[in-house]
Amino acid sequence: MHDNDAARRLDLTRRQFVAGSAMAGFTVFLAACGRSGASVAPSTAPVASTAPSDAASVAPSASVEPTPKPSTSAELNFANWTYYMDLDPKDETKYKTLEDFKAKYGTTVKYQEAIDGNDEFVGTIKPQLEGGQDTGWDLVVLTDWMAARLIRLGWVEQMDLGNMPNVTANLQDVYKGVTWDPTDDHHVPWQSGMTGLGYDKAKTGVLTSLDAFFDAKYKGKVDYLTEMRDTIGLTMLKLGLEPSKATNADCDAAIAEIKKAKDAGIVRAFKGNGYAEDLKSGDVVLAMAWSGDMVQALVDKPTLQFTVADQGGMLWTDNCLIPKGAKNAYTAQVLIDFCYDPAIAAQIEAYVNYICPVKGAADVLLATDPDVANNPLIFPPADILARLHIFNGLDEATEKYFNDQFATVNGLG
Amino acid sequence: MGGFLRRHKRIVPYLLLAPGLLWLAVFYVLPGIQMFVTSFWSGTLETGYEFALSNISNYTAALTRFAPQFTRSILYGGAATLLTFAISYPLAYTIAFRGGRYKNLLLFLVVAPFFTSFLLRTLSWKIILGDTGILLGPLKNAGVLPEEFRLLATPVAVIFGITYNFLPFMTLPIYVSLEKVDRRLVEAAEDLFATSFGAFRRITLPLSLPGVFAGSLLTFIPAMGDYVNAELLGNPDTTMIGNVIQNQFLTQNNYPTASALSFLLMAGILIAVGIYARLLGTEELTAGGV
Repeated sequence: MHDNDAARRLDLTRRQFVAGSAMAGFTVFLAACGRSGASVAPSTAPVASTAPSDAASVAPSASVEPTPKPSTSAELNFANWTYYMDLDPKDETKYKTLEDFKAKYGTTVKYQEAIDGNDEFVGTIKPQLEGGQDTGWDLVVLTDWMAARLIRLGWVEQMDLGNMPNVTANLQDVYKGVTWDPTDDHHVPWQSGMTGLGYDKAKTGVLTSLDAFFDAKYKGKVDYLTEMRDTIGLTMLKLGLEPSKATNADCDAAIAEIKKAKDAGIVRAFKGNGYAEDLKSGDVVLAMAWSGDMVQALVDKPTLQFTVADQGGMLWTDNCLIPKGAKNAYTAQVLIDFCYDPAIAAQIEAYVNYICPVKGAADVLLATDPDVANNPLIFPPADILARLHIFNGLDEATEKYFNDQFATVNGLG
Repeated sequence: MGGFLRRHKRIVPYLLLAPGLLWLAVFYVLPGIQMFVTSFWSGTLETGYEFALSNISNYTAALTRFAPQFTRSILYGGAATLLTFAISYPLAYTIAFRGGRYKNLLLFLVVAPFFTSFLLRTLSWKIILGDTGILLGPLKNAGVLPEEFRLLATPVAVIFGITYNFLPFMTLPIYVSLEKVDRRLVEAAEDLFATSFGAFRRITLPLSLPGVFAGSLLTFIPAMGDYVNAELLGNPDTTMIGNVIQNQFLTQNNYPTASALSFLLMAGILIAVGIYARLLGTEELTAGGV
């Protein structure tokens, strides 16, 4: 079980890890951010076009005649996070799903694990997006809040759901109609994770309430997450507030609650993936935890437990996006749709161990890999899914407010 | 070519300096200027940035808001520098004067941890200092320490981490200084009835000061800017200015504030080093030629 291990041992989220080492090269980011900022007016969302916006590989004449079905391109550039695509068991230098895609459509997918942090990765393509140029990527995978930001900036190609029957049929309902993409045609979920209670039941007994995070009984033995949306989200749920509609006032209430716990010495630290090591070593007995990490941690220490509390938990998703100006936008949609075939989704999921957004994948796995199919952390049952909340898509000013407030409790401001 | 150089001898030093100067210009001066300009921006990533001299308020605002983290950086960096000195001096002294034929081996042992990654070394401390780890576990079991006692996620752990990580930067310069001390001077002092402590105080110690000076700069400057130890071994109340700069640059996308903080840190270090050089005397440094 190697998933995420390296990053976790380094005690930083994978998002932060390269971020840290990249500090030496921060000037790159300065260069990337430029003076002009995003000159594109926000919400210049691409006008709905019936034809897939595949500029390069289709015949150049975009006639009014019924558009011929575009053909898939010879290659496709796909940027993703590490451990997010299934390796071919026969040849670990290849990705099985992508080989299957090539066999069916003839497209060579140039797949790179180029994403190690939302901000860092977007920093590398920002100048092109600002300038309205091709970024070199046809498909990228980014977390909700970053996806929301890029969609808001008009930097994402609209997809044609007509090209994606599998997505239309098999996307789990909980993902539909997010505030930052109400028409669901600028992003497609790739993998998700839940945020909930991770604890050592040998020390705490079974926990079902978020109140435990604020219980003086566990003083100095609780880790919170460095991810603002997770920590504030769980705290809001504890207070009976709704994270998918989070307002500044909700934020204030959550921050006050977190501050109380911090000042009382209950919070030991704010962690990225590092909380899993803390749970394993016994340095903490309870942590705000991500389901994907816990699948791994449970293997190493069976007394650990992951629970979505009665008050609810958070659901975050890494989403497929087609960057504005991508050369092979049509092929990208075909690939996404290919991955939403339950058989293919199952094949990916058996390797990845995060939450699969594809209906039907569990049924396929039941026959081939029942351990994965029956793992509630990978295929959460309906009653758990119903308790999950997706954090509100914040606009820039609100996001800054939330970040600034969060910095007052996590020591960064 | 050789003839050309012979005829224009004055060019030679510049040619020799050129690679270094070019390197500095491209990778230090230019980004430095860009960052300085950035620190006078206002605005956000999405609305774009505006340059205005009035944005010098970025500096005052950053200094006020992040004063606790600045203070902590100075305190932790200073404490770690003193600790590394206290550990390194006897160590370097022993290697230089008593090392004998094991000298090279001992020096190798000082540097050996550096063959592994900085992060891994720091993470090892998490294992050693863990609440029920190999250090505290037995002490707690024996009842020497109360159950809730901990080192991790405290300032002590952060300072220990920094101290450990910068130890060789202090040890090696001091060793070089001590190694160069002419033993005949010490013998002469003892011939003149100096006690061995007197000889140390009046001969060895002053002659090794350039190494101490260089070592403390090599330790203090990076320690001030360090954020890895605070991130891995600390808690929300032990964050240092490096953590803030990282957060502002990479999470908040607040480039102006992050740039202003970086310059404030540089300025702070320059002032601290200036005072230190004044106190210790810069000619000691150049005389030692470390």
